[in-house]
Amino acid sequence: MGELLRDTYRYRELIWALAQKELRVRYKRSVLGFLWALLNPALMMLVLTLVFGIIMRFSIDHYAVFLLSMLLPWTFFAQSLAYSVESIVGNGDLLKKVKIARLVFPVASVVSNIINFLLSLFPLMALILLMRFPLHWTWIYLPIPMLALFLFTLGAAFFFATINVFYRDVSHIVQIILSAWFYFSPIIYSLDLVPARYRWAFRLNPMLYVLNGFRLTIYYGKLPSPQSVAMSLACATAALLVGYGIFRHYESSFVYYV
Amino acid sequence: MIDSAYSIEFRDVVQRFRLIHDRPDTLREKFANLWRQRTTYHDFEALKHVSFQVPRGQTVGIVGRNGSGKSTILKVTAGVYTPSGGCVRVNGTIAPLIELGAGFHHELTGRENILLNGLLLGLSKRQIQEREAEIIDFAELGDFIDSPIKQYSSGMYMRLAFSVAVAVDPDILLIDEILSVGDGGFRKKCFDLISDFRLSGKTILFVSHDMNSVRELCHRVLLLNNGEVIEDGQPVDVLAEYERLLGHRVPQSVS
Repeated sequence: MGELLRDTYRYRELIWALAQKELRVRYKRSVLGFLWALLNPALMMLVLTLVFGIIMRFSIDHYAVFLLSMLLPWTFFAQSLAYSVESIVGNGDLLKKVKIARLVFPVASVVSNIINFLLSLFPLMALILLMRFPLHWTWIYLPIPMLALFLFTLGAAFFFATINVFYRDVSHIVQIILSAWFYFSPIIYSLDLVPARYRWAFRLNPMLYVLNGFRLTIYYGKLPSPQSVAMSLACATAALLVGYGIFRHYESSFVYYV
Repeated sequence: MIDSAYSIEFRDVVQRFRLIHDRPDTLREKFANLWRQRTTYHDFEALKHVSFQVPRGQTVGIVGRNGSGKSTILKVTAGVYTPSGGCVRVNGTIAPLIELGAGFHHELTGRENILLNGLLLGLSKRQIQEREAEIIDFAELGDFIDSPIKQYSSGMYMRLAFSVAVAVDPDILLIDEILSVGDGGFRKKCFDLISDFRLSGKTILFVSHDMNSVRELCHRVLLLNNGEVIEDGQPVDVLAEYERLLGHRVPQSVS
């Protein structure tokens, strides 16, 4: 783990350049360019607000904010995985030619997506103000759930990037896992809506703890309890330890399989 | 530093590749194979107990037929492969001029690629910015530097890649068949640059099929055959042996 920190710091310029490259390439040749990073979530939010505000009305007050408070972090997680699962295989040519710290590729994928995530918070703020929903002071607490989410995502990114080197099916499987995971996480609904006798099963989902802080601070204007913070950081650290551990164990043989 | 007189030291190096016949690439194949015979494979030794030392400042040519292990030696030296056996010691920074332009991205401009590629080769951002003008100048790209490199001709592409790689200003230069870069004028420039590197006391490993450049540049030549060093000595002698191995008559040297 010390190695992860040291290498991330040592290669920070390279990681940043690779992340910038992913963003540049994503928005290159579009007329609006980088504005899409703001427009895309803004338009999505607009659609969701219309659908849930007018057509499908839930008993949850200001459902759009309720939903988006978790949907945005989830989107970051899902997009990061979609990018990082290919990060080693996609850079295989490079790994075969230059000696390079392999961890820079999954890390850069996650970093490029966190920029998108941070940018998407601006349209969310705008929407909240437009809807005359209170912009809670608890927003300032967001860096803590963000840290947990970032570490958790990094762990998953290392894990899936590694096994995709050996079994290329993984990049397809990830999509299925992600959509199942999405519906079984209390993102579009809240845990209270789950029948009480199944609730224990939902509590096994680490994503519950990782995402919980976002909804509490953005929608409810509350601070998570210390136990809940500890739980989310514990899940994140465990994911990172497992994911990075597996990555470290296999990384020297990547060059023979890519 | 242990014995820093040598830049590169190979002791009994074995590089083994497991060639799996029909390696299961997907889970379906893996499951399918559970019912069938186990995957068959054989181990292939690309390098078989290779030992040599390169003193600081020496230019060593490596010749041999295709598949004799020349590129594997460069990749082991560069640290891309971890050898299966033996010991490799390298003193100094390395610039691998192996298949140039590996880190280039087509949508990015020449300038953006200089940064990305320089970082991949181990330079810092500041070092790259200091050397940027020099790189662009050497690559003779002019105004094209701010265009996406997908618009470059293949010559321009290779020139840029070469310029970034040599800008690393390494102690050790690994060169794999790249003197075919660009047109005659640029080739001459590369050749001159490599001669300069050589004169300034840098260590060079040089893989080439061009006998004339090997003869001209190298102090010493290794002849590889099936992963073994079968000759190690003066260029004239080793190249003659190589010609014999190829079953050719020794051609007149062109000068």
